[in-house]
Amino acid sequence: MIARILVGLLLLTGLATLVARRNLVKKVFGLAILNSAAVFLFVMEGAHSGQGAPIVDGSALQIVDPLPQALMLTAIVIGVCVTALALAIAARLHRATGSLDIDVIKERLGNGHD
Amino acid sequence: MGMTDLALAPAILPLVGAALALAGKTARPASARTLERLGAFVGLALPWLPLVLLAPSILQGGAVEGFVGGWAPSVGVAFRFDGMAWLVNLLGFAVAGPAWVHARGSGPRGSAFTALYLVQASALAATSMAADLFNLFVCLEVLGMASYVLVTESGKPGAYLASFSYLMVSAAAMVFFLLGVYGLYRLTGALEYGAVARGLSALPDSGGHAALASVAAIAAAIALRTAVMPLYGWLPEAHALAPHAVSAVLSGVLIKTPLFALTRILVLLPGGGETGAILGAAGAIAAPIGVVIALSQTDAKRLLAYHSISQIGYVVAAWGAGVALIAADPDGAGASAGAVLVAAAYLHALAHALFKGLLFLSVGTVTDVAAERDVYRLRGAGRALRRAGERLPVTTLAFAVGALSIMAIPPFNGYASKAALSAALKGRWQYWTLLAASVGTVASFIKLSLVFRRPKPAASTETFSEEAPPAVADTATEAPESGAEKVPISAKLATATLAAACLAGGLAAPRLYRVVATALGAAPGATDAWSAALYAPAELLKTAGLAAGGLALFALARTAPGKALASAIRNRPRGFHGLFLALCLGMAALTAWLIR
Repeated sequence: MIARILVGLLLLTGLATLVARRNLVKKVFGLAILNSAAVFLFVMEGAHSGQGAPIVDGSALQIVDPLPQALMLTAIVIGVCVTALALAIAARLHRATGSLDIDVIKERLGNGHD
Repeated sequence: MGMTDLALAPAILPLVGAALALAGKTARPASARTLERLGAFVGLALPWLPLVLLAPSILQGGAVEGFVGGWAPSVGVAFRFDGMAWLVNLLGFAVAGPAWVHARGSGPRGSAFTALYLVQASALAATSMAADLFNLFVCLEVLGMASYVLVTESGKPGAYLASFSYLMVSAAAMVFFLLGVYGLYRLTGALEYGAVARGLSALPDSGGHAALASVAAIAAAIALRTAVMPLYGWLPEAHALAPHAVSAVLSGVLIKTPLFALTRILVLLPGGGETGAILGAAGAIAAPIGVVIALSQTDAKRLLAYHSISQIGYVVAAWGAGVALIAADPDGAGASAGAVLVAAAYLHALAHALFKGLLFLSVGTVTDVAAERDVYRLRGAGRALRRAGERLPVTTLAFAVGALSIMAIPPFNGYASKAALSAALKGRWQYWTLLAASVGTVASFIKLSLVFRRPKPAASTETFSEEAPPAVADTATEAPESGAEKVPISAKLATATLAAACLAGGLAAPRLYRVVATALGAAPGATDAWSAALYAPAELLKTAGLAAGGLALFALARTAPGKALASAIRNRPRGFHGLFLALCLGMAALTAWLIR
């Protein structure tokens, strides 16, 4: 139970950072934390059926469910791609406006009207 | 080559094409261009072949099901190529091909762009046939990732900010999607839609609140991608600032594919019918609101982007009502009636894909040639086009076809699809909100058409001014460097193709509607009554009434109070936080409604 609460807190931390921070890079951090919380949740879930390594040799029964782990490998890869892309866009915005603060960027870009 | 290979080909061929185009990065420029063209041919033209080959069996209501790569069902990724997948592919490739051709002239070009564009096309096809929750997640992420980059290809700083907001809110929504997948996997230990549904029905209370909350999270994430009303904030900037060809695909195809992919989940899982009904209601409310915001815009492409929100509202309204009927009665008469509603929604989605793609491309050409995007300042567009070397007014005519289609004037496809929506929604409250939205649509396209009016002095009331005297100064002369730009032949080709498709879609509408309804599982002959009444005097009278209403609304919007109101709507505060607030509140409301 305590683990679930911690994951829930992580999720909220990520969401709050994503929304409340004005710095683009910190927003990207928030997204990464949010993503990690979902990954934790899946991996935790997989460990309910057992803790052993999922190597099926006919004897081991208390193994973790390998499927969530496989899914999360994919989700992590996607998360890394999204983070990298977001940082690249943030860098471009910094180059164009000289700021990483979303309000300042908006102002310098003329409130979205180019 | 088996049916399975044929069904997967529309998703795999664009990937092969993307690899070819990307290989051009290492080659010399001349061979890079050849590889790029070859890649686009493989990725955008060849997929038509499997679609044509599959059509006879799929359109009779058949489906190709299986597991990618032939893996065992317990570990394999399930896919299902049914009538809906076929239709969504048709919609996607019909717009993606011409839009790519347009990009040859209007930009962006290059190996990287074409490769990404093809990855997006592949993800569209894959999304349409996903039958596995996690696979749907991956497809949506790939689709999103390609579109975030494509939006920035225009190189405008504003586009980067739009792409950043789009990326952030959409990635956050996908985390909630993942949480929904988690909930369903925890309850059932399955990811394939059918297995999840069976697992849930075996549980004592079919999963209870946990299942409903999971469905709500998945539906909310997809609603954001579809830009259903409260979750639309990312769309206008991204679609307005993207390159024209990308705008056409984003508005035409990208926002509809996830919606139709969601159908399969909602008709199977508990709470799906109610979710459909709620989304449908949101769409019906979005249609008139989107139009009002569109009417207040001054930027030509932003006006079109807000119209996408309004038009997707039409689609979602009928789709949601249909899904609710199918989910309530999956094997009986409700399913057939629901299929007719979903067919009407699809017909409008297809029509919108074609005419909105056409509008984005032709308006893009006009604004490039005139170097002006403000609809109040841009005048004499027809002459600017002629000066740019367009002897046959292809772009002007194409714009006219697109505008008449979206205004629902016969015989173009927008008329037929809106008539199908009205017939399917007759007797529901949604009918009236969509009718109101149609009046606004007419008004805002009268406004947009004014860019073709002769420049000052504005004595004439004609909308199009092909015969304007050449002596009067216009905006094109103020920007000689871009005004001198020729209209590329590829742009003409692309707009002419889409314009022809709009006209054909309107003329062949009765047949098309019957085919679509059959493919989606409606009873035979369900659309015959509609076909007979399509050009009945009552319908035509209604169209004339709508046009007159639109003209009156346009006149009203030009008065001083109308202009003040438009300015207030245009400059309403829109922030980054609003996107997330809408997402969280929307999801919470949906969950609360389902659990209550």
